[in-house]
Amino acid sequence: MIIGIPRALLYHRYHCLWETFFEHLNLQVVVSRETDKAILERGGVCAIDEACLSSKIYLGHVESLLGRCDLVFVPRVSNFGQRDNILCTKFEALPDIVSNTFRHRGIKLLDCNIDGRQSENELSAFMLMRKKLGKKRFQTFYAYMLAKQAEKLEQDSLAREQERRLEEAEGLKLLIVGHSYNVYDKFIGGPILHYLKALGATPIIADRVDRKRALSRAAELTSTMPWLFNRELTGAVQECREKVDGLILLSAFPCGPDSLANEILLRRVSGLPTLNLLVDSQEGAAGIETRLESFIDIIGFRQAAKTAKEASL
Amino acid sequence: MNKAYLGIDIGSISTKGVIIDGQNRILASEYLWTEGNPVQAVKKLLLSLRGKFDPASYAVTAVGATGSARRLIGVITRATEVKNEITAHAVGTTTLYPEVRTIFEIGGQDSKIILVENGVVVDYAMNTLCAAGTGSFLASQSRRLGVAVEDFGRIALTSQNPTPIAARCTVFAESDLVHKAQIGHSREDIIAGLCKAVVTNYLNNVGKGKKIVGPIVFQGGVSKNVGVTKAFEAATGLPVIVDPNGHLTGAFGVAVIVGRKGAERPFDFGLAEMEFVTKGTNCDGCANHCEIIRVYQNGELLDAWGNKCEKGVSRTR
Amino acid sequence: MTKKRKVTFPHFGDYCVPIEYLMRQGLDMDYVTPPPMSKRTLELGSKYSPDYVCAPFKIHLGCYIEAIEKGADTLLQTGGVCRLGFYGELHEQILRDLGYQVDFINLAMANYSKPYTFYREFKKINPDLSLPKVSGALLTTIRMVESMDAADDYIRRNIGFEQEEGAFDRLRADFLNSLALVESQKELRYLAGNYMKRFKAIPVLKPKRPLRVGVVGEYYSVMDPFSNHYIEREMAKMGAVVARWMNISNSLFHYPKKEIQARIRGYARYNMGATSMATIERALRFAKKGYDGIIHIKSFGCTPETDAMPVLQNISADYKIPILYFSFDSQTADAGIQTRLEAFYDMMTMRKGAAATG
Repeated sequence: MIIGIPRALLYHRYHCLWETFFEHLNLQVVVSRETDKAILERGGVCAIDEACLSSKIYLGHVESLLGRCDLVFVPRVSNFGQRDNILCTKFEALPDIVSNTFRHRGIKLLDCNIDGRQSENELSAFMLMRKKLGKKRFQTFYAYMLAKQAEKLEQDSLAREQERRLEEAEGLKLLIVGHSYNVYDKFIGGPILHYLKALGATPIIADRVDRKRALSRAAELTSTMPWLFNRELTGAVQECREKVDGLILLSAFPCGPDSLANEILLRRVSGLPTLNLLVDSQEGAAGIETRLESFIDIIGFRQAAKTAKEASL
Repeated sequence: MNKAYLGIDIGSISTKGVIIDGQNRILASEYLWTEGNPVQAVKKLLLSLRGKFDPASYAVTAVGATGSARRLIGVITRATEVKNEITAHAVGTTTLYPEVRTIFEIGGQDSKIILVENGVVVDYAMNTLCAAGTGSFLASQSRRLGVAVEDFGRIALTSQNPTPIAARCTVFAESDLVHKAQIGHSREDIIAGLCKAVVTNYLNNVGKGKKIVGPIVFQGGVSKNVGVTKAFEAATGLPVIVDPNGHLTGAFGVAVIVGRKGAERPFDFGLAEMEFVTKGTNCDGCANHCEIIRVYQNGELLDAWGNKCEKGVSRTR
Repeated sequence: MTKKRKVTFPHFGDYCVPIEYLMRQGLDMDYVTPPPMSKRTLELGSKYSPDYVCAPFKIHLGCYIEAIEKGADTLLQTGGVCRLGFYGELHEQILRDLGYQVDFINLAMANYSKPYTFYREFKKINPDLSLPKVSGALLTTIRMVESMDAADDYIRRNIGFEQEEGAFDRLRADFLNSLALVESQKELRYLAGNYMKRFKAIPVLKPKRPLRVGVVGEYYSVMDPFSNHYIEREMAKMGAVVARWMNISNSLFHYPKKEIQARIRGYARYNMGATSMATIERALRFAKKGYDGIIHIKSFGCTPETDAMPVLQNISADYKIPILYFSFDSQTADAGIQTRLEAFYDMMTMRKGAAATG
């Protein structure tokens, strides 16, 4: 049996967990290729026009998997139990969006439901999948535990590596505040990371800050922000703000949570140069290089002025 | 004496008039610029139409008005039908092309798709919000490029490799356009890219979830742009019909509706010599400040409208 | 003795009447009704809001500013299961940055599974609060909302066929004015019954098979006529029965979550968030009942309602029922809406005519 996984949305956060899990169940996994122009275009055709760019890209990836696998893995994730741990409603709706969009295209879904408030946690959701996959209880549990372990190892090593970079890197350090599915997408975040490196700056990725730590620090900036991912990003800003030279808020148009969360950041994190990048499609991101370059110039001018002022005192 | 019906389609840019007989045959037609003055434009239209048909054998027995100034012109011409332009266009097209299944229409401010089964409109959709896939988008981009919008289609056809342009949102499109021009894309590729972007945007927004079946008729101001027509054919894989008289479809359609309904009201071309004054005032009844329009004929109030509530209504003042 | 609070809540249809009752009778606060919404409300709200946030956020902000100008010192925000859950905190921040010295009762701080926490939030502002008094007033408020919703439901179905122009609107205004003066539940019961009789006594001339249009969509924009440019009224006045299930009574007091999910299983297996399930279920019901068309209303970018659209498109295709989609932001102009509604009405008439003769 071949499981297809769209390389979009939650894949960028959970790829290690998902892939390890299926591999230990002896299932073949096909991940769709990196986002390219064709995927973007097809996503635009499949999706409702007003849907956010990230979800359009997702549907492009799903379509690219049709005919290449037996089941397409589309989890539903609503929340992880506590009040502040909800996700954008997009992730609640995903399986039904996919099945309605592709209903005449012979798609078969492998879905699971993570809804902590309805006592459906990640473990129980993964365990339930064994029925559709024809696997034994113990084997599934074992695969999940191994996958969790692998996920933890990967996250820790990414966080440590970034902490090292934050301490050691020369030149400007810019914190990229954006959802993992935007930052790591080849078409949305890819060019931005690339330009920044080409310009000699070090991108620090908010998503890689230790998540528990970030989440606990979020409360310093917001009391009612409901979305887990945005809380982590907010906390990551709090964690790194003394160590970076500027913030880049990266969002995909018209992201619901970001439309409010970015505004709170802009209003509550003062003193750091901030660039707001709203991406509608790769073509729309044209000129991003120019904007990044001028942003870096401005930071340079500000720092030079500050140094001069300090010297004259 | 035979009955004839006059249809007037008055938009912000152009004014169109068609006179048809009982068999929906066009007896006379005229097309001119509105130039921001619909009343004056209609007077000119009437003067011109008057000389284009045979008054000895035909008499105009009813008038229909459509287009954005339909209410005003309907009052002045004592129209029996004041219809929105979507219905007028649909009726006009299905009368001319009884086999049509899909109508694409892209005008200055909005775009729509109309689906037809057995000559009856069964579904339609319009652009939800922004002007990205419309004529005004192309017009503003043409100014940016320094090319007359009329030349767009011809230039687009010379491109071998249309530049991809993000056209979902005008703001994004403009910055993208500037960028693409600066990094060295040729003008014809950019123009072809714009035409393609209009089509992509149209199909992704207006045409979303609609089953597109031929025959397709493409109308509205942008249908004159052969670059867009070709892009439609490429995207749908179907031939796209553009009626050379497509700009008259709205006027024709509302004339057909008038004929079908059968109501009659005497019409006099002498109207063209009368004096009509329209006055716009802002109602101060509440913070909405509704703009109230009053129309006077030779000093006498004909009608008033524009208020959202009862406060501002005064049909006598 | 502490000064009496002047509390306000953004306009939401005409629900300001029961809200005012709750504030005055239950919470012992004065209530400032925001000035009627206008272009200025929208302009103020848009000016100080983030660019691509949903329209209700901007409208609420505009209402707050206008109510503060009118003397309000305490603002109420509800919280909710979508972006609404974060409205209050950002509204408060924006208003503070603008220099307004006001207090905020942000119910997003409360916990929905523990009703007592709502009381706690109010108690922060008014320490003298009495629980029995609040509960009593709350019950009357709920009945008031129910009586308004029942009347509006009847009006939507009949106003298009009234014999005397404006008869329903006049009586409705009367009804709301009387509701505002109610003091007890008994009085309310009498009043509501009496007015319902009077609504039903208004002469209407309905054709045997009138056009029937169902309205579905996003919570705020569908229930707030100002936000949706009075679409229901416009549609009804062309001569149609307009039906809408979504209102406070049905969604908040009597929400049949299990039934809804069961009925739409063929189209959606999971809860897709916020109002999307109700939207889908009602659309399906209108389709099955042979309505002539459906109007879907939402604010631009509303994620749950956008996600319901692929399902609506499938329902539209399966039952051959046309759906007109509206997406509002704070800049949408009136004229285009009127044209679309007229065309939709014409199309439904033509389809009905063709079905009758064919």
